[in-house]
Amino acid sequence: MGLVFAVQVLPIAAVALNGFATEWAGSVLPVGYTTQYMSQLFADPRFTQAVGNSLLVAVGSLVVTSTICVPAILVAHCYFPILDRWMGALIILPYAVPSIVLALGLLRLYSGNYGVVLNGTPWVLIFGYIPLAASLYYVPIKNNLRAIALTEIFEAGRLVGASDLAIMRRIVIPSIMPGLVVGLVMNFTLAISDFVYANLLVGGHFPTLQIFIGVLSGGSGRLISALITAYFAVVLIATSIVIWATSRKIAS
Amino acid sequence: MIEIGRRGRIIAWACAIPFLAVIFLFEVMPLAAVLTNSVFKEGVPSVLNYAEILGSRFYLGAFRVSFSISLLTALIALVVAFPIAIILRRMPGRVQDIILVFSNIGTNFTGYPLAFAFVILMGVSGSITLLLIEAGLVKDFNIYSTAGLVFVYSYFQILLGILLIFPALGAITPDIEEAAKLMGASRWLFWRRIGLPILAPSLAGALLLLFANAMGTYATAEALVGSGANLVTIRIGELTAGDVFSDPNLADTMATLLVIILIIPIVAAQFLLKPKDSNA
Repeated sequence: MGLVFAVQVLPIAAVALNGFATEWAGSVLPVGYTTQYMSQLFADPRFTQAVGNSLLVAVGSLVVTSTICVPAILVAHCYFPILDRWMGALIILPYAVPSIVLALGLLRLYSGNYGVVLNGTPWVLIFGYIPLAASLYYVPIKNNLRAIALTEIFEAGRLVGASDLAIMRRIVIPSIMPGLVVGLVMNFTLAISDFVYANLLVGGHFPTLQIFIGVLSGGSGRLISALITAYFAVVLIATSIVIWATSRKIAS
Repeated sequence: MIEIGRRGRIIAWACAIPFLAVIFLFEVMPLAAVLTNSVFKEGVPSVLNYAEILGSRFYLGAFRVSFSISLLTALIALVVAFPIAIILRRMPGRVQDIILVFSNIGTNFTGYPLAFAFVILMGVSGSITLLLIEAGLVKDFNIYSTAGLVFVYSYFQILLGILLIFPALGAITPDIEEAAKLMGASRWLFWRRIGLPILAPSLAGALLLLFANAMGTYATAEALVGSGANLVTIRIGELTAGDVFSDPNLADTMATLLVIILIIPIVAAQFLLKPKDSNA
């Protein structure tokens, strides 16, 4: 177990080491260490812009996707079993349809050929990620919903005069919180680490971190290592914040 | 299912409609657009695109290479991830959550960052390459090759394997294990006679999704080998955005063929992976 974990962490550690190395060629470990490349990176306005763009898309995706998906999952589970079955099928589609195929379709549809131009703007990413992220909410939330005796809860709630909305807010929604947290975290990593959509649909018009990494990849190995290390730091910090913020909400 | 009145029904539908609209506009329509474009050549309906791909050794070769790499890395991931998932199951809940979240970050660790990390470790003068050469185990190792791709793909495939297999292990409940133990079954016998048969459908389903994931991988292959790799996704990317080889209709045709190859086993896997109490 420990060995497997070490192997999984190794590539990330190697990139981080390389980002701080003075010279690293022909030896197993770097010769010396420096923060020169890190400071060079932080002084680069393109880096700051890319971090801003990536966070904007990722946070935008979290807000939009959860607002659109969670109510639909709830009402389908509670009231519309046929819709629920359809959602179960729709949600598996991204596995069968690779993101490059969907990106091709979006490229054809929203480049202005049909009067709508979304490509080149962050909107195509924020909305384009919804079908990909829907299953990340659907699966864990459904697990939470299956675990509660929904029919009994609604019967008892209505008996004491509570509206369905009140039952949802006071009982159903709190019980799906753990699933929602998992969904939010996974949605965030999906949005911040996407390259395929970002590269084909917005590219240089709205450079995200992944695009910037691609741009730098031809140049200095040290600088790109520093960049990837910084990218990882962003992902880790943001993931921790999402987990922390949402688990605090559950506790209160 | 819960009964509601007319007014409640309308409100409830209103909650579901934005979701359905988005799925239609950003999933169904793009797929339809790709499919439609694939049967047009220079503005007129035709099956020439399909004839061109199915008659080309180059393009068929791309499907063959993609298929082999995907099948191989799916099998590697399944074999490695299965024991890890079993060990993980015995850990405290909090540890499970943390490892699953990090596995999820890992499965999204693709594209340029992943390719670059592996070049540092296993490139021409990478640390691991140097260690292996010093130990006399290899003469050299070329990461920019099909073998290199298998190594790099295995990284995220194993993590995805853990994520896919872990929930399925819930079917092996403690009382089944207890019962087997009481009857004197060894661990090995338990897994061979009871555990694996119970999990077989889920494992088959996981294998298919891993296969599909590798077939659809674009960013990592593009970052590591670029157009030098003859993979389906690389060819699609080149036909879409390339300067020399650009032919959008042909790209859409390859994409359609890729979806056809994937959708048949995935729909089958859906039936295999479905939990037994899915009518709940």
